[in-house]
Amino acid sequence: MAGLSQLLNVARDALTAQSYGLNVTGQNIANASTPGYVRRVAVLETQNLGTQSGGGVRAVGLQRITNDFIERRENQATGTSSAASTRDQTLASIEALFNDGAGTGLGSALNDVFASFSALAANPNDTTTRANVLAAAGAFVDRANATGNTLAQTQIDLKQQAQDTVDQVNQRAQEIAKLDMQIAQASMQGDDASDLKDQRTQKILNMSGLINTHTFTDGNGNTVVQVAGTTIVDGQHAGSLSLDLHADGSIKLLANQSGGGGSEITQFLTGGKLAGIKEARDKDLFDVSQKLNALVFDVASAVNTQHALGVGADGGSGRNVFDIGATSTNAARDLRVSVDVFDHPERIAAASSVFSTPGGSDNAVALSKIFETQIAVGNSKTAAQAYGDLIGSIGSTRANSQRDVETQSAILSQVQSMHQSESGVSLDEEMVNLTKFQNAYQAASKMISVADQLMQTLLNTVGR
Amino acid sequence: MRVTEQMRYDSVTSNLSQLSSRQAKAAQEAQTGVRVNLPSDDPIAAAQLARLSASQSQVTARRSTINAVRGDAELAESSLQQASDLMASAKELAMQGGNGSLGANERATLAAQVKDIRDQLIGIANTKGSSGYLFGGSATETKPFSTSGAFNGNDDAHVVDIGNSTPSAVNASGAKAFTAAAGGRDVFGDLDALYNALSSNDPTAIATSLDGIDQSRTQITNSQAAIGITLNKLDASDSVQSALDLQNSKTMADVGAADPAKAYSTLMQLNNALQQSVSVSKSILDLAAFKQF
Repeated sequence: MAGLSQLLNVARDALTAQSYGLNVTGQNIANASTPGYVRRVAVLETQNLGTQSGGGVRAVGLQRITNDFIERRENQATGTSSAASTRDQTLASIEALFNDGAGTGLGSALNDVFASFSALAANPNDTTTRANVLAAAGAFVDRANATGNTLAQTQIDLKQQAQDTVDQVNQRAQEIAKLDMQIAQASMQGDDASDLKDQRTQKILNMSGLINTHTFTDGNGNTVVQVAGTTIVDGQHAGSLSLDLHADGSIKLLANQSGGGGSEITQFLTGGKLAGIKEARDKDLFDVSQKLNALVFDVASAVNTQHALGVGADGGSGRNVFDIGATSTNAARDLRVSVDVFDHPERIAAASSVFSTPGGSDNAVALSKIFETQIAVGNSKTAAQAYGDLIGSIGSTRANSQRDVETQSAILSQVQSMHQSESGVSLDEEMVNLTKFQNAYQAASKMISVADQLMQTLLNTVGR
Repeated sequence: MRVTEQMRYDSVTSNLSQLSSRQAKAAQEAQTGVRVNLPSDDPIAAAQLARLSASQSQVTARRSTINAVRGDAELAESSLQQASDLMASAKELAMQGGNGSLGANERATLAAQVKDIRDQLIGIANTKGSSGYLFGGSATETKPFSTSGAFNGNDDAHVVDIGNSTPSAVNASGAKAFTAAAGGRDVFGDLDALYNALSSNDPTAIATSLDGIDQSRTQITNSQAAIGITLNKLDASDSVQSALDLQNSKTMADVGAADPAKAYSTLMQLNNALQQSVSVSKSILDLAAFKQF
């Protein structure tokens, strides 16, 4: 039969267990808004005291309420959403470059060049009109240069961002491997590793935002972290990635190998900031630059060809208006007003023959007519049509990307909400728990006082 | 489903930020009256606007070309009118000179008047417009006619693009109006012939020169008619271009401008939604059970 002292023992254990429960509740409340914190539940179980019946309670430890499936989905959704929004940021800045609404864009500068040729035709012998042709050509060159330079600078910046991202991935991999080691040590010593596990989950989620990340547990119970299809953390060992450029200037992602060198994994890069950077830089930006350069090249070449046929007021001919390379590569950045005509308005070739200077306007008309001629995109479009197409394609790429960002962020917040629902702290719940453990603690205290009174009664009776 | 505080905060944050961003966009649309602020607002409309503004720039250029050349064309027409009047006077003098009762002195007086007319006519043929000499062809900086009446210009046309399929000539040809260069009559030669006939008191020669004066006058009148036709063409082109201008502006407004009523009502709607969302959010965040304990 259980004695009074056992009642005291049970009450003591109950006090310990309920205060443990209060502690866990307090911990949950304290971390209610800590990112990556996974709610804990105090695990209590009955305890058999020796051979006697009427056992007490004991706190076995903590349980982290997690769900691997939801965590993996959150990692994946984070990667996809981060890729979409990273790409969209670059597209937004490209789009702003081509915003003609204010009348200061490349399109307006292009229109002004041809309008200046029209004005020259009306008044071929007027110095101001000639100077205006040079001014319009100069403004077109400035806009083309500025646009081309900004695009080129963006490309360089994105390479740097990609490098920073790869560095962060490598850094995270080191941190995860270190946490794995600490978790293993803590488990060996029988300590609670929940906080470390929270941190590791949070680091992996963070890594998912940088690059597509997949995790699984191998046969030995080690957590394996794979990025872009390659294992970067295996147990307590961390690998690393590096960045290089292909011959065509596009980004090349390598998994470093232990013996030196690296194997290319670019084709497996599907998510995270790095994927967004790559798509924006090597696809979107590349496409816009190429179209812009082609347009600038086509316009400048057509103007040069026609201009060279004409004769300046000084009787000279065969001159170019623009300096342009032999191909469209970097045409927008490298475009200049040719030294043939720079600062020499009289050299603008309005007339078609040396015998029709200074009043001849045939060539000025021919120059202005280039505007209506299909000189762009393989002689299939006028310059204005090609520019309109460029604007349209930039606009629709950005619009698609915005939709993509919205869709992906909706998916992400749904998954985050699932994750929260599973692992997040509910203050309401904790308030109930707090009361529950408080009441139990108070009741256990009451048990001690009851046992004490009984003991007193007994002692008084026996002692009398 | 288990609902945690963080979920409430997240949903409040994301709903409010979505609404705010839509409200900001609607406010911009209502304030600026522009629907397509960025190409991505409506890519098709943005491309169309780029092409329309190119077309509009061309229309503007043509209209300013028309305005720029019209002044000189009008000046050329009135100059030719004066020239034609002078030739009419010359013809009268020739007819007077042909009268058999006149003596050498009287014919000498008439000859002096003819010389006067000829000098005036050279002055008219050397008229300068806004872009140099009107009747010198492309030689706009060279005096087309010397005092002796020799032609130093050419028959080059001044062509501009006024929207027709081929560039149009907008100048009056001095070569055709005053010289034999284009297969016509040398007007100053004809006046010289009359002057010589009158000076030498030769009624037969006077009668012969009368014919030349007549033909010269017709030639000048024809040139005047030609530049008149050019002026009509400029006017016609201008009204075509101005109609295009209007049409372009209208299309640009249709494509790119916001409908004020719609923009305003959308904005009001979103303002209300935002206000409501804020107050709903407040009550959601107040819901926490622990506050009741």
